[in-house]
Amino acid sequence: MDMKRSYYEDLRLFDTLPLSLWLGVAVLALAAAPAVFGNYPLYVIGYIAINVIVALGLNVLVGYTGQISLGHAGFFAIGAYAVTMLANAGLPILPALLLAGLIAAAFGFLLGLPALRLEGPYLAVVTLGFGLTVETIFAKAAFFGGATGPAVPAFDLVLVPGFSREQNLYLLIVATAGLSLLAVRNLMHTRVGRAFVAIRDSDIAASCAGVDLTYYKTLAFAVSAFFTGLGGGLFAFHLGQVDPTTFNLMLSILFLAMVVIGGVGSILGSVLGAVVISLLNLKLKGLKMADFEQLPLIGHELAGFLGRNFMETGMANIQFIVYGTILVLIMLFEPLGLYGIWIRTKRYWRTWPF
Amino acid sequence: MEFLGALPQVMFSGIAAGAVYALLALAMVIIYRTTEVLNFAQGDMAMMTTYVALAMIVGSGLPLYAAVPLALAFAAGLGAFAEFACLRRAKEPSVLGLIIITLGIEMIVFGFASWKWGGEPRDMPIPLSPYDGITAGGVIMSYLELITIAVAALTIGALFLFLNRSKAGLAMRATQQNRAVARLMGIRVRRVEMFAWALAAVVGGIAGLLVGPATTVEPYMMWEPMMKGFAAAVLGGMTSLPGAALGGAIIGIVENLFGYYVSTAFKSVVPFAAILLMLTVKPSGLLARHYVKKV
Amino acid sequence: MLKKLGNIAALAASLWLPLSASAAELTGVTDTEIHIAQWGPQTGPAAPWGSVARGTGMLFQMINDAGGIHGRKIVYHMFDDQYNPAKTVAGVKELVEKEPGIFAIASGVGTSPGLAVKDYLMERGIPWVGPAAGSLHWITPPQKALFAVYPLYADEAKLLVRHLVEKEGKKKIAIFYASDEYGENGHRGAVAELQRLGLTPAIEVSVNQADRDLKSHLLKLKESGADAVLMWVNPTHAVITLKTAAALQFSPQWATSSTLSDVPLMQTITGGLWKNIIFASFSELPDADVPTVTKYRAAFPKYAQQGERWGVFFMAGIGFVEPMVEGLRRAGRNLTRESFIAAMESIRDYKGVMGAISYGPGQRQGQRAVFLARTDDTGTKVTQLTPWTEVK
Repeated sequence: MDMKRSYYEDLRLFDTLPLSLWLGVAVLALAAAPAVFGNYPLYVIGYIAINVIVALGLNVLVGYTGQISLGHAGFFAIGAYAVTMLANAGLPILPALLLAGLIAAAFGFLLGLPALRLEGPYLAVVTLGFGLTVETIFAKAAFFGGATGPAVPAFDLVLVPGFSREQNLYLLIVATAGLSLLAVRNLMHTRVGRAFVAIRDSDIAASCAGVDLTYYKTLAFAVSAFFTGLGGGLFAFHLGQVDPTTFNLMLSILFLAMVVIGGVGSILGSVLGAVVISLLNLKLKGLKMADFEQLPLIGHELAGFLGRNFMETGMANIQFIVYGTILVLIMLFEPLGLYGIWIRTKRYWRTWPF
Repeated sequence: MEFLGALPQVMFSGIAAGAVYALLALAMVIIYRTTEVLNFAQGDMAMMTTYVALAMIVGSGLPLYAAVPLALAFAAGLGAFAEFACLRRAKEPSVLGLIIITLGIEMIVFGFASWKWGGEPRDMPIPLSPYDGITAGGVIMSYLELITIAVAALTIGALFLFLNRSKAGLAMRATQQNRAVARLMGIRVRRVEMFAWALAAVVGGIAGLLVGPATTVEPYMMWEPMMKGFAAAVLGGMTSLPGAALGGAIIGIVENLFGYYVSTAFKSVVPFAAILLMLTVKPSGLLARHYVKKV
Repeated sequence: MLKKLGNIAALAASLWLPLSASAAELTGVTDTEIHIAQWGPQTGPAAPWGSVARGTGMLFQMINDAGGIHGRKIVYHMFDDQYNPAKTVAGVKELVEKEPGIFAIASGVGTSPGLAVKDYLMERGIPWVGPAAGSLHWITPPQKALFAVYPLYADEAKLLVRHLVEKEGKKKIAIFYASDEYGENGHRGAVAELQRLGLTPAIEVSVNQADRDLKSHLLKLKESGADAVLMWVNPTHAVITLKTAAALQFSPQWATSSTLSDVPLMQTITGGLWKNIIFASFSELPDADVPTVTKYRAAFPKYAQQGERWGVFFMAGIGFVEPMVEGLRRAGRNLTRESFIAAMESIRDYKGVMGAISYGPGQRQGQRAVFLARTDDTGTKVTQLTPWTEVK
């Protein structure tokens, strides 16, 4: 949104001094977190950070290149299984993670091939089929541990001596998320990133301008799958367990929701989307009858009405209604998602009080 | 029965399953070709419709022939309301944004139904024993399957006539081809779009009412049929009504053949492999005209 | 960048390490309260199993109303994890690390959510009694603080196969199983027992969680000429199976697991097809007239939420946790995790709504016995076929 006056401004890592300062504060806070917080907040931040990595990766494909994917849970699963099996085979954790990302990227490249000719609903159904197939193969093959999945080895990487396993894992996840953020941001400012954006805006015009569609579309899939696989690999350690049924269509939809809710084609958007959807996922709780009873004036009557007409045992499902309403409202009022809201707030304050 | 002896039976089972997929595919196609929205709430709107019918039969003691039209009327209202309250309100919507909106609607409908009726499966009572059926040429056909196929065929035929011969159908096609021009020609495009949603919800609701008695009524009842319906719609070309019907039948038959002759383990993902193969040859689906983007 | 991050982290660590290490350990026990947690899917595809967690809630309420245990009331923290391990871990960590902590975990639905928190709980020595899944993972290897109740799925399958072959004279037994841990364990047990009896399965067919069109599955079972089918699936699939089998005029002897032992429910949702079914049961039947069951059944209307049903899994939520209550009673007023585990190990042949439960040093599978029963031709009356039986 801010005007760039020269090419070098576009190349700078951080736009402005305040931004750099705030980023510095955020890095410090995240780095200090393991020493301050207990296990649970670290788990939540780690969960969010993993989703940030995936959302960044998916955004490369959806936001910057204009493709759609309903199968990213498949790449996530490939990453998780690859890390588990490689680490079980004796590979140290860091190379295993990197290799898992690359394996996922290879599958991304393969899925990118049919995508060369497909778009919209056709691509959606092919990627959906990919996700389901990966889930089914992992659940069926005895080689991959069948219905319960392979046992995940203990996370034994020590980044900071004296830290517990959870604290080290947290640092690895957050550092990876930070590096992924930098990587995606830089990638989008290179020749490759501009080719992606050109394809999104018009693939025919892009190819006229000399962008090799075959190369860049498959590359977008591969890059996107790499980050998703990386996230999956970290998730295996984070949960300490790999279960094929967790990598279902619902997960793919959640990933897509993170990118769209956050704002397509924006890095800040991916981060915001991942944070909001992750928190909704972990924190949203169903209401209880007592919550209705406590409402002033109408509370008692309302509870009585609900008791007569609804299942008290099904009350937890109210969280789905809340979740769905939030999704609908964000998309109705801000097609650019949370990033759009952020831009508007920023603009409002910059010109305040006018 | 030797190896190929079961073939007619498997084919028949495939068509019976495919009839349901075809109806859901049609519902998606109706919305997609009028408003270019991929409606992922289709399945759960059908689930809700089935629950409403069940509540009227079991709760209020209405006979089946009264409950079904009332439930379908409810479906029409639900579809129209979803369009009116959510889709129409979207500002400068992107394709992805619209998909997320339908997913939001799906969650709301799902949450409401599971809150109202709970998660336990229920039985949809019909005045028809599951044992009853006819046997012709070694193929056992239950009445329920025959009714499913007949209802699907009738619905598809009626829809085809309606959309190709009636003024409303013409208006829907005009809206799809060029919204602005359609408007200039005096078509109330918003009303047409709302009508498309209502019609699609009814067609999907019929699928739900056919799935219910053959399986159970529960919040997740339409997930798998819905996915197959989406696949069928894409297979047929996403904008083609006969394509959707054909796609449904093909998916039903392919997965039953594979399930019987090869393995039940991968039965549910095989249709997607078939679609992948087909799309590499015909990227716009079986019966849709190939759409070449103009620059 | 990474180096900088590492430096900062090291700095932060050196500053804060002593502080975080000195945080007092939370035990979940105060003078007046014992805090106990459980996860159970109240929403999502596994929501029907959520009644286990609500059944446990009723047991605790009854205990509190009767004065609690040694002067302490039980505070029950039940949360909905949607059968999603990522949510289970979050919920458990949150409760365990928040004042005043959690003393023990009661039951908890599902193998995969349970596996996700098992190491975390065991490392901290938090007792866990009666996971609601008949998995081998709980007892291989036995954990000091994990007390399983649910008899193994494989044992149920073995008993059923033995009965079908030896008492019913069935020769061709097919296995129809869900492709999850529950199904695979049943499948494995059945194949092992058939092998012992010198038989092979007529056919083995697996069904995916999401499948709702089972015609090709049923055709395969029918073509195999099986005279009995071991059905190791979830209730929805059981309904579809029976309806599809009826449409295909296929009527073998069905035999099934304790998961489908809720006869009134199965009778209702199959629309009356739950006839002449042999099933295994891990608990007394919910309508049995034995005092251990009737006391809860009588109290049920007073405690149950609107929409609740007195079914097998609601009652199992009581049964899985009864040994924990017994352990708390035996541990006495001076309650610590060590005294509780010692008290649990002293339990022998405890009989509540489940089968007899015994623990001991190194003995962590509490219940081994199940019994078989059969519904009659109308599907309403249940006759017990065997007494409580242990396999082997």
